[in-house]
Parts: sequence; C-alpha cells; structure tokens
Amino acid sequence: MHFLSRTQVIVALGALGMALLVLELVRRRRLSEEYSFLWLVSTALIAILGFSTPLLTWITRVLGFLGESSTVFAAGLAFLTATLLYVSVRLSRLGYENHALTRELALLRHEVERLRGPGAPGGAPGAAGPGPAGRGPEAS
Amino acid sequence: MNPARVLVIVPAHDEEASLRATLEEVRALPACAPAGASAGAGRAAVAGGRAYRVDLLVVDDGSRDRTAEVARAAGTPVLSHAVNLGVGGALQTGFRYAIAHDYDVGVQLDADGQHDPAFLAALLEPVLRGECDVSIGSRFVTPSGYRAPLARRSGQRLFAGLVRLALGQRIADTTSGFRAYGRRAMEHCQFDFPRDFPDAPLLIALARRGFLLREVPVEMRERQAGKSFYTLGRSLYYPYKNLLASLMAWLQRPAAL
Repeated sequence: MHFLSRTQVIVALGALGMALLVLELVRRRRLSEEYSFLWLVSTALIAILGFSTPLLTWITRVLGFLGESSTVFAAGLAFLTATLLYVSVRLSRLGYENHALTRELALLRHEVERLRGPGAPGGAPGAAGPGPAGRGPEAS
Repeated sequence: MNPARVLVIVPAHDEEASLRATLEEVRALPACAPAGASAGAGRAAVAGGRAYRVDLLVVDDGSRDRTAEVARAAGTPVLSHAVNLGVGGALQTGFRYAIAHDYDVGVQLDADGQHDPAFLAALLEPVLRGECDVSIGSRFVTPSGYRAPLARRSGQRLFAGLVRLALGQRIADTTSGFRAYGRRAMEHCQFDFPRDFPDAPLLIALARRGFLLREVPVEMRERQAGKSFYTLGRSLYYPYKNLLASLMAWLQRPAAL
C-alpha cells in the first residue's frame, strides 16, 4: 500500500504538470483546442487509473494483466497509438489541401502574369527576370 | 462543328535539358500554334473525322533548374508549382487550366522526349471520334523494341493483370504517360486524381465511374535527358501503394454518370 501511495503522488504531479502544459500551449495558441481535448482526456484517464487503486486493481483483474503497472502502460500505449493514427489522418488531409492550394496558386500566378502583360516585371513571355517568377515569398 | 481544341500538357520537373527539344517537336506539328501566338492559331488538322487545333502548356512542377525559363523562351504558357507535387499534381493543374480555357481534350506528353508527337493524331483519334474518354498510348499493343528491366516488367504484368481482373478489359501498358483525356474525364480528374503516379489505380477508378478507356499502339523512345522517376526507395513503395490504391478503386461503388 505504501508503494502505491508514492506512485499516486508521482501520478498526481505528472498529470497536473501535463494538464498545465497543455492548457498553457492552448493559451499561447501553439496548440489548437481540438488537439488539447485529446491530451487532457488522456491525462485525466491516466490520473484516475493511477490514483484509484481499487479501480486499477479491478480493471487489471478483469483484463487478466499480471500487474497494475501493465494496465497503466497498456492504457498509455493505446492512447498513443490512437493519437498517432489521428495525427496521420490529419496530416493526410493537410497534404491534400496543400496540393490543391499549390495547384490553385500556380493557376492564379499565371493569370496575374497574363493580365500584367509581357514586359512587366515577372510578366509572361520575354521577361528576363531573375529566376522563375515568384519562386519565393520575396517575389512580388 | 468547330475544330476541337486540344491542349498538350507537358509536366516538367527539372527537365531543362530536354524540354526545348520536346516543345519544338510538338510545335513542328502543323496543327500546333506557333511560338508566342495566341491559342488556337495552328492550322486545323483532322483526326477521327474531326478537325482539331493544338496548343501547348508546360506545368513546371517545382523545378529548381531553368525549366520555366526554357518554356517561356519557347513562347509556351507556363504554370509553376511553388513546390514539387509529382506527375499527378502537375497533370491536375493542367486539367484545371484546360477546363478554364475551354479545351476539349488534354494530352499528357512527357518532357523527356519519350513520347513522340508524331503519334498525337493516333492518340486523339478515338477521343475525337467519341469512342472513348481516355486513350492510352501503349508500347505493348504491337511489339516494339522496348524492353524494360525484369523487375519492372513483372510489375507491369502484375498491374496489367489486376486491371484486367477489375475491369474485364485488357490494358497492357498501365504505366504509359502518353494519354489523351476527353473533356468529361478532365472534369472528373481535376478534383480526383492520384497525387503521384496516375497508373493502374487511376485506370480502374476511371473505368469504375463509367469512363471508357482505349489503348492505342505507339512507339516510345528512350528518354533523351534527365533521370528516371523511379528510384530504389520508390521501387519498394510503388508496388505497395499501387496495389492498395488499385484495390480501393476496385472496391469503390461504381458511380452513375
């Protein structure tokens, strides 16, 4: 019992620190509310598991794990896997959106060059501008 | 009937060495508008019983070399991607341009000199005749001198077999990039197109949506310059990706058009 109570202190501090970090990241707009939800829920879950010994013992027995720590690790791993999958999905979507924007940008740039007409800086045919027009954000 | 408007789309990624020759070769076609001339300025030619005129478009797919300048110097409109998207992305940009500028057919022609514009009329014929939505210039319909390395040949067999299984139609050259897309196909593809390789999965997806495909025998040449798209890393990833995408395209419920 004594060992577990020390664990409880560690878990409590860890969960509290994690929650504060997540909230602070949201406050500074470094993390969107959408993702913070994921992290806060998982932190709360781990905290509950680590704190309530009877609950943890019960789950461990029901699932047939050898020790309580295995349950906590399993929960953490499951959460990480789910998060990674979710992030992959979001990344794929971002990639698609990025592709579409790049295509649209190319079409619009061409249209701008055409409207400006030849001779204008970055204009279409015959323009001897330095490098391909608009290769970077500095081009105007 | 007005002459059909054909846009030859040349996707180019770091192809400064071969692009000029490729563009000049297309320009040498009588149907093609001369350099710097306005669109549709070529003399009308006839394929499949329908007159057509040809314009050129280069899609510079995030090149680091002088690809865009070479194309501009050749008097060709250039669309430049800020970053490299891959062949599929470049074609999609070309399709969007073709639709916005009211073209009837979009033809993919590689910048590296593999595709001979002399076969353009043959490629256009079934599309202009209205017999198919997408025509594919194939190396394998009639025996040609082309022989790929063993690994690639078995890959080609595999995907040709898969396409045949899925569609009940024999398409021997699933990786050919020499294709003509009709208006309806372009309208679909501008939104839904493979990001990297428009190969077997695209053919399956198109056919499942009711687009008609047709193979046309062409001869292909060795690439004149630049390097092949296929590297070791890609050659491991490619079969996996294509197999998965093909299965997904196959599982898709055929949509009524």
